[in-house]
This record gives sequence, C-alpha cells and structure tokens, in this order.
Amino acid sequence: MFGLKFLAVMRRDLKKLMRNPVTLLSVIMMPILYLVIIGNSFQGQLKHLPIVVVDQDHGLYARRIVEQMLALQAGPKTVDITFENDPGAAMNEVRDGLFKGVVVIPPDFSHAVAEGRIAQIGLFTDNVDEISSETLEGALDQAAATVKIAFVTAREPKLNEISLRPNWLFPYVDYDRSLIPGVIVMAIFMGSLMSGVFNWVMDQFMGVTEGYLVTPLSRWDIAGGILASGVTVTSTAGVLVLFLGLLITRGRILGGPVALAMLVGIIVISATGLLAMTFALLGRAGHPRLVGTFAGFLNVILFFPSGAIYPVESFPPWLRAFAHVNPETHSVSAIKQILFKGADFAAVSGDIAFLLVFMVLTLVIASFSFKRTM
Amino acid sequence: MEPESPAIQTKDLTKRFGAFTAVDKVSFEVRRGEVFGLLGPNGAGKTTVVRMLTTLLTPSEGRATVAGFDVARYPRQVRENIGVIPQALTSDLDLTGWENVDIYGEFFGLSRRQRRERGHRLLRMVGLDERAGDLVATYSGGMRRRLEIARGLIHSPEVLFLDEPTIGLDPQSRRAVWDLLETLRRESEITISLTTHYMDEAESLCDRIAIVDGGKIIALDTPTGLKSMVPGSDRIDLVVEKNPEAIAEMLRPMPYLRGVNLDGGNRLQLSANDGAHAIPKVIEAVDGAGGRVTSITVQKLSLEDVFIHFTGRTLRDEPAKKVSLLVGAGMPQHR
Repeated sequence: MFGLKFLAVMRRDLKKLMRNPVTLLSVIMMPILYLVIIGNSFQGQLKHLPIVVVDQDHGLYARRIVEQMLALQAGPKTVDITFENDPGAAMNEVRDGLFKGVVVIPPDFSHAVAEGRIAQIGLFTDNVDEISSETLEGALDQAAATVKIAFVTAREPKLNEISLRPNWLFPYVDYDRSLIPGVIVMAIFMGSLMSGVFNWVMDQFMGVTEGYLVTPLSRWDIAGGILASGVTVTSTAGVLVLFLGLLITRGRILGGPVALAMLVGIIVISATGLLAMTFALLGRAGHPRLVGTFAGFLNVILFFPSGAIYPVESFPPWLRAFAHVNPETHSVSAIKQILFKGADFAAVSGDIAFLLVFMVLTLVIASFSFKRTM
Repeated sequence: MEPESPAIQTKDLTKRFGAFTAVDKVSFEVRRGEVFGLLGPNGAGKTTVVRMLTTLLTPSEGRATVAGFDVARYPRQVRENIGVIPQALTSDLDLTGWENVDIYGEFFGLSRRQRRERGHRLLRMVGLDERAGDLVATYSGGMRRRLEIARGLIHSPEVLFLDEPTIGLDPQSRRAVWDLLETLRRESEITISLTTHYMDEAESLCDRIAIVDGGKIIALDTPTGLKSMVPGSDRIDLVVEKNPEAIAEMLRPMPYLRGVNLDGGNRLQLSANDGAHAIPKVIEAVDGAGGRVTSITVQKLSLEDVFIHFTGRTLRDEPAKKVSLLVGAGMPQHR
C-alpha cells in the first residue's frame, strides 16, 4: 500500500543528506571541476611546441618560410624555434624527446621554387605524440602555403580559387560551454549514486534498516521515500550545475522560461531513471564498497559514450549502438538542443520518449528487486 | 487483541536456513502484561525466534501470533502493534534524538500532535529530554539504547521486543535500561519479550524464562520454578573439625540430602532440595557421630547454575556462516 508514509522516509533521508554537506557539495562541485579541467585539457591550440629549424638553403624563399615560422612563434606562439645546422643531430634530439620536430629546408629549395619545380621541405616529427605532430604539419603547411600563394600570384591569376564563408545556424558555443549538458548529466549520475542506493546499502550494512523493517512501512513507502529524496537532491544538484555552468562559461538559455521548464523536466526524468537504474543494479549489493566500485565504472561507461565530450558520430559502430541505448546520450542530446539551439518540445520528443521509457522500465525492475525482509 | 488471548503464541515454530535448522518446533505462550525472557547461549536461535515474531523472517513451518495476528498472514497488523529494539543500535546517527523519535512516529501514522506529546514524554522518561536536540552521533551507546527504547514505544505498542538490550553497555547504562523496563512493567500493561544471555538481567526482570538451546526450548518456567527443576537446588557448605571422610560416608544415605562431596581439607559440599530444613538435621547427625561442625552455610542455586545444568558446559561454536567469495563478509548475517 503506497500511502503518505513515504514522505516520512523522504524527510528522514533528506535530513541525513543535508547533514552531510561535503557529500552534497561534491555532487555539485565535482562535475563543475570536470567542466573546468576537461574544458581546458581537451581543447585549445597547442602552444610552445619546441622545434628545430635547419636551413641549408638560406635563399629568398627559405628566408620567407623561416620568417613565417618566426611569425608563428611571435604571434600565436605555436612553436619555440631553435636553429641548428646539422639535420642528423637535430633528429637525434627529437628522438631524445628534446624537440617535437625538425624542419629541414634543403640546399636548392629557393631555386626549385623560383624555377617552378617541385620544392620540398622536410618535416620530421615525433609522431608518437600525434596531436603535436599534426599541429606542426598544419603550421608548416600554413607557412609553405604563404610562400606558394605569393609565388602563384606573381605568375598566374587566382582563377580556380574557391573561398568558403562559414555561416552559423545557432549562436556560437565554445568547447567549455558545449560540455555543460554532459556535466549536468554527470551531476545527476553522481547524485543518484550518493543519495538513493548508497544510503540504502549503507543503512543495511550499519543495521539501521532493521529498525525500519519492523514498522508498518510498506516496501513502496520505503522505496518511494528513498527515491523521492534521491530525485529531489539529484535534480537540485543538476539544476544548480546548469546555472553554475552557464555562469562560468558566460552562457544563457535560449528559449527563456519554457526552455528552462523543459530542462528541469528532463533533469528530473533523467534523475529518476538513473536512480531507479542504480537501485535495480546495486539495490542488493552485499557491501557499500560494491556501490563505490561500480559507481566509478558506470560513470565512465555511461558518460564518455554519451556524446558529452565527443560526437557520437565519431564512434565505431558497436559503440555507437551502445550510445543509442545509453540514457545519458539522450539526456545530453535533449539538454544540448534546448540549451544551445532553443529547440521546442517536438525537436526533443524522441529523446524524452526514450528517457520516459527507460525511467518506467528501471522503476519496474527496481521495484521487483527491492526486498522488504532481511 | 481479545482480552484473554495471549500476547504471543507459537506452535511448532520452525526456521530453516538451507540444511541448518535454526529454530526447531518451538511452542510457547506469553500472557498479556508478562515480561517473558528468552535465555540461551550464542547461536541458540533466540534472535531467529524474535525475528520471526517481528515479521523480519518468514517461518519455514509452524505458526505464530503476536497481539492476536498471525505473523505470516497479517505482518502489517503485527508491525502496527509491536515495538522492537533490535540487538544492533539502529538509531540514525545523522538525526537528532527528537527527529529519530518524531520520524519513527510518522512511520506509524501518528499525527504531529500525538508525536509531540508522546515523544517528549518518552524522552523525559528515558532521561534524554535535555539532549533531544543533539545529533545521535554525539550520544554514548547507553544513550542510544535508551533513545531506541523511547522510539520503540512512540506508538504505544501492545508488545515490546527487546533483543539483547544491554549488550555492550557499561554497568551504569545497563542499570538505567533495567530501571526503564521496571518502570514500564510497573506503570503499563505492555507485554515485554526480552532476549538475553545475561542471567542477572533475566532473573531480575522476567516473570517467566524460556531456556533455548539448539533451536529448541529446553525449559520454561518462572526463575524460581526453573531453579526447583534442578535436583538438589540448594548448596550446603559444611566445615567439620576432623574426619571429613567418615562424616561424608555417614551423611550420604541421609534422605534429606541429594549429594555429598569432599571439597578439600575438612570441607564438604552437600546438595539438598530444601537446604534451610536440612541444616539442623546435618548438625545433629554430625554431633551424633562424635564430630563437630565448625561452620555451615546454605545458598540457593543461581540461575546461571540452572542454565549450565540445562545447557551444559560445552562451548558453542555457531554454525559456519556463508561468506561470499565475490564480496567478502558483506552484510551482517541475519540468522
């Protein structure tokens, strides 16, 4: 029988959670820290890549290449240049990890350019560090292109040049801001683990549960109360993270109060689904340590394939298939569309339908797996 | 509950955990207003009996009613009429004493006014009214136990189950709990089921005691009745001036004695059903045989002697408990 007694269980759980502000704060602050750390470690141009330039030509075009590279050093600070004469020694220094690459301008480079022959510059990179290597290639391409364009311009008109003018459909979203949906979902996930199922398993472990099982509380009262307190705490954490994230990244919600209401709704549905899921998976865990262990594992396997960090389209087919049934993917997708695109209900109805089905399914499984007896 | 119906009644109550029978066809009745003790060594099955009576475990066989309701068929009604103080301390550390009592009252559907009236009265009764606003995490073990007694009484239950209520408490706290139970017994008509393995606790608090061992009740009576079940329940310590062996031989056939043993030096230990009446006869017999009594004392058998008589001196190893290979010890076992 599901009566109002579940409110007493909820009150008890909420009071207990409120008396642990460190736990509550960590549910909010940890995802925010993730936002700051991931935002700053995954994005941005590489800078100060140490490279060696060996100019064996010293001709006009070699000087232009070197000037372009010095400009990269002075302007965007992509590279830190050291000049050397011996290409062999320079390559050994790359092997030793002192430099990220060597640029070798061969002796007849300027002549070749001037005569219209194929002129090549050698770039030897530490390709183990693929990202640095690709950045260096890009930088050198840019330097070489400048020389080539100048050269081409002098001899023939730019008849076939095609220019691309990008047009954005939506307001600019930088990488930091683009992480907000993922960070909200992470806060929901962490809240769902730290409130609902963890409290239940810990109470059982401490023997506290026995005192409640001898009262007239039904299993629905107990499960409902724990779930309700978990949803309250977790949803509040999710909404706070939304606002803090927007504050940090100086963003705003497109679509005003209606969009905000939809966002809160999605947060509540996601929180309920994830709480029920963790109950279904861990409600019968024999030890709180199991909850802790699985928490880290579940967080990784649900968060990273959710499209929060990198687009789902880039995944291999098997991971893409998993992402499509991952509730966090749909939460991230719905929040992203409403928050950044000002999408209406119809645009996110697919994601919301998935989240609702997931919520109902996990609630049913959790209710079956929840035991009232010892 | 019908006025004349017993507060607790069990008939062939049995609980098996796999192949192990923890409780084996236990039958007893507890009258209304009675303080009933379940006394037994560790692993005897006392807690399992209580857990079946408090609906935490389902009986494998047999039947039990508490407050007139069958524990298997009407568990909710049973829970509405019982207060339970489990062996483990189960109050919430993150809540205050008052919040523990108040929220517990809500679990029983009490109104805010009822909770306020009863809660404050009970906290006063257990001597915690001044600490009611403090977090339970700041309480001692004895204070927590008293709080849990108050909590267990918030809904005025008909039957109160206490499972080892003084285990792990210091002597002062034990006395405080005993005083509380005495007050309850004196001032209310509540029925109390007390599980313990402390003899003094059982003897001073219980009207009747069931000695449980190996999952069965092996004796059930008042403390005095239990003592009288043991033949030669009075012990006479006799010291004679000389010839203890000859005097022992002379006393052995005496009909008012159940046993005569030499106890080193000139000491003899005699057992009798009625020690007080046997003493003048022993003195007369020793004098008649030309001996002389230096000292003679009689003492009643203690409940511990009775307990040892019924359960023996063998140390009890509890049956091996299941430990998961995957998660280690895990949750405390519920046997």
